Amino acid sequence: MSGPLLRNRWFVGSVGGTFLLLVFSVFVGFVWLPSAQDDSLFKGLLNSICSAAGVPRSWLGEASAPVTSPVKVSEVVMTPTTLDGPASSGAVGRGGTLALRCTMCHGLRGVSNSQTPTLAGQYASSIYKELRDFQSGARVSAVMAPFVADLHDQDLRDLSAYYASLPRQQSPATQDLQSAPDVVATGAPMRNIPPCGSCHGRLTAKLGVPWLELQPRDYLKTQLEAFARGTRRNDTSAQMRNIARNMTTEEIDASVSYYTGGQ
Amino acid sequence: MARAVPADPHDGEALAKRIENRWALTMVGLVALLVAMVIFTGLHWATMPPSRVETINPSTLHVAGEFVESNLGSAVEADGSITVRIVGQQYSFTPQCIVVPSRTPVTFRVTSADVIHGMLITGTNINSMVSPGYISTFKTRFERPGDHLMPCHEFCGTGHEGMWANVKVVEPDAFARLVGPTRRASCDL
Repeated sequence: MSGPLLRNRWFVGSVGGTFLLLVFSVFVGFVWLPSAQDDSLFKGLLNSICSAAGVPRSWLGEASAPVTSPVKVSEVVMTPTTLDGPASSGAVGRGGTLALRCTMCHGLRGVSNSQTPTLAGQYASSIYKELRDFQSGARVSAVMAPFVADLHDQDLRDLSAYYASLPRQQSPATQDLQSAPDVVATGAPMRNIPPCGSCHGRLTAKLGVPWLELQPRDYLKTQLEAFARGTRRNDTSAQMRNIARNMTTEEIDASVSYYTGGQ
Repeated sequence: MARAVPADPHDGEALAKRIENRWALTMVGLVALLVAMVIFTGLHWATMPPSRVETINPSTLHVAGEFVESNLGSAVEADGSITVRIVGQQYSFTPQCIVVPSRTPVTFRVTSADVIHGMLITGTNINSMVSPGYISTFKTRFERPGDHLMPCHEFCGTGHEGMWANVKVVEPDAFARLVGPTRRASCDL
């Protein structure tokens, strides 16, 4: 077969031409253009080929050393599998026993009657993250610190699993997103404020972020204001401070009223 | 019995050859033009596949390394250049306000803690994807002081429209006054 094909000048011309074009393009993409970059990591034949081919390499290794924080920040690593799986998920029964020490503030079944947060039906990831932050001192509370100081990591996982398993309070009709204030349903994009519901539920949820519905008014308002002032800083990479400090007093009041069920 | 082929009054074979030749030349010309454009933009505007690929674990950005909260923003390097480090996350950039001096080499280092974000700085040609697991690095220089917006331009979730940052370019001496003892600066409130 090769004889007649190679004698066909259309075949030789098109296939040969395409091959030459390929060789030339490879030279352009892997050697010529990378070499034109003004950066030592692109110099030399091997470097330019590796850079164009996408071989991972650390780039700014010589830059100044990172500045560490003078205050404690959250070091909890949250991934979708942090609390997932037989070894890492908590035991509800064991958590229930441990939770006896929590009942005086957080209620017999996780529904608070005071100005402490309601925990029944809260996301396990959120409870676990906050407990770890209380333990490390990233979140400061004179009340919570002694309660978590002597707990092991497995205890925290069990407590999180227990409270997540309790039934949530029935939300009143005013919790419907149709009747939510603007800041909850749409945010204020012109002022850098995404909707509360995009992380705290109803619209979408974000890992490690709490479900807020039916929390006590004073608790929510205090925490939101602490984020806005920067006195609470255990939100990973400032994700809540960034938003709270742009909120007006009216928006803070409106969102707090919505999440307390209009009480 | 083979049927006799009637004589072709229009000389079809030669006609087909001419058309084939013309198409072949057009196609080669198109490809050559495209390759030439790639070479021109690559050499004169230094457009390139984004950067040297550099990977990072997106779930531990806040624990250790250069993307811890206290190290974000503009850092003054020993050679006087500026390194700006930014974390994108649902739904904000940290820091929210980035301050850099004019007429100074600036290197941006940007990464994401969760999903794919994007960033562009209005009025400049700075435009990059911000992907979890990868650090986007690019070098630039702002000639004039001014304010720019830096929106996330890749849909990242229901709060995407609220995700943007400010970039303030100030005179070098004004910038020097903002730099603290740790040689870091940002214009966050």
